[in-house]
Amino acid sequence: MNRAIYNRLFKRCIQVSTWLALALLVFLFFVIFLNGIKGLSLDFLFEESKQFGASGGILYQIIGSLLLVFTSILLSFPIALGTAIYKSEYLKDLRFQKLTDILLYVLNGIPSVIFGLFGLIFFVNYLNTGISWFVGSIILAIMMLPTIILSSYRAIDRIPETYREHALGLGLSKWQTIMYALLPQSFKGALTGLLLAMARAIGETAPIMFIATAFSGVRYPTSLFEPISTLPTHILALSQQATNQNALNNAWAASLVLVCIVMVFSISALVIRHRIKS
Amino acid sequence: MLKSTHKIGQLYVMCSTLICLFIILLILGVMAYNSFDAISSIKWRLFSLTWFPVKNEFGILSMVFGTIMVTLIALILAVPIGVMTAIYTSEFVSKKYRMFLKSLLELLAGIPSIIYGLIGIAFFSTWIQYWFNLQSGRTLLTAGILLAIMILPTIVTLVDDAFQSIPNRYRESAKGLGLYDFEVIKASLLPIAKHDIIGAILLATGRALGETMAVMLVIGSIDKLPTPILNVLMPGQTITSKLGREVSETAIGSTHFSALIFMGLILLLMVIGLTVFTQLRYKSKIRLYE
Repeated sequence: MNRAIYNRLFKRCIQVSTWLALALLVFLFFVIFLNGIKGLSLDFLFEESKQFGASGGILYQIIGSLLLVFTSILLSFPIALGTAIYKSEYLKDLRFQKLTDILLYVLNGIPSVIFGLFGLIFFVNYLNTGISWFVGSIILAIMMLPTIILSSYRAIDRIPETYREHALGLGLSKWQTIMYALLPQSFKGALTGLLLAMARAIGETAPIMFIATAFSGVRYPTSLFEPISTLPTHILALSQQATNQNALNNAWAASLVLVCIVMVFSISALVIRHRIKS
Repeated sequence: MLKSTHKIGQLYVMCSTLICLFIILLILGVMAYNSFDAISSIKWRLFSLTWFPVKNEFGILSMVFGTIMVTLIALILAVPIGVMTAIYTSEFVSKKYRMFLKSLLELLAGIPSIIYGLIGIAFFSTWIQYWFNLQSGRTLLTAGILLAIMILPTIVTLVDDAFQSIPNRYRESAKGLGLYDFEVIKASLLPIAKHDIIGAILLATGRALGETMAVMLVIGSIDKLPTPILNVLMPGQTITSKLGREVSETAIGSTHFSALIFMGLILLLMVIGLTVFTQLRYKSKIRLYE
């Protein structure tokens, strides 16, 4: 009879922990939503911030965040796609496969603050670029690389070998095979990776806070070499004025906006991935 | 014509790969080169307990301790809940709800860490302060709880994948022997999924070690060991929170800055070591053709 009791106990345990995890999930979403919706209005979205963010809106922060991420995509995507193709189609030696795998996972695992430090030393100090939009985009682009490479690689690698054989049999060169047979097939997979990387990058604070952003007085940058203001760093600055209730309310509202932007990217990624599977 | 596009294409993909390799080496090189100043001038006293830049004391041990402590707390809280939740979602939830749950969890994993920090300040630290009757709710425990929440989706998703990839015939034959669900899972499924579960936990550990913003906002930022040593209700400091707080206040090129970089390098080596170990030991993917 002991066995039956253990079984019941075990089921109860895993049920409780699932409920706990679910409760946590609901709690987080509700907290972000309820606290954020109070301060949110059309004015908040379309005004510039005043009094160090305690009043006014977050227009330039939204624009700044989007600019930063789209610039990083432009830098990151070509390199990531190239690497994915090389890894899938040219790199045949299993040992090198393993090595690039490990290196990509290493790049993926490097803590975000380390990227910030690296950018500060290498770009801001050695190359003397100053704190700027451009440096922030380069660093975010580096952080995006592994995600995009791995998902594009998986998409290309999943294509059955017969496609390659047929294309070569028709007399296509290897590059034509890649361009006309493999890339169109793997487009959706690459797009999923791209969207996931964007969702992650737009919320990053630690890598850009030393090297790309200025807290106040920045509107939209007029050149690539000017500082930019972003949502995450704005939230950071506001959340440290803990005694000022207005600032805190604005921090919550800005968080809700940021979460919504992130969700747009990640939900589109989920939808595309779901379509690939079905 | 054909030949030249072929060559250009090949050159392009090769260059991209080389750029990726170069970036990793560059990051390591820059970090190592910049911590050299601290290593040569402070030497073994880097591994002491006092961090006091005015007196040229740069001991990183309390930060290393904080990092490990906070990560351990997070793992102790998140691993049992995460693994049990994953078992439930994988083995007892119907396919439709399972997809829904996992999508929600993935969305949860996408919430930026700065927002976790904000929630930590507003809720968890005040709760900790109230429950334990403390002067300040910004403690090692608060940071650990927050980290646990942040790594929970990772653990659940990966462990659930691990269980899902086990073919159904294992469950069927175990059930055919007359085993209860609990015994099926314990005797048949867990041993098969063990490697992937450990891999998931190690990946989550790497995340926890390197998390910056959320930890920085709730840990209290005091560069001391707690007294007594296992008292998690004291404020502390992790490597990442130290870097986040102090880098912008330090002159580049000073010994102080170099010591901070050295600390970052230690963190980097810890995470890289963990990643390489995980990849070599727990993952072996072979290319499959249909």
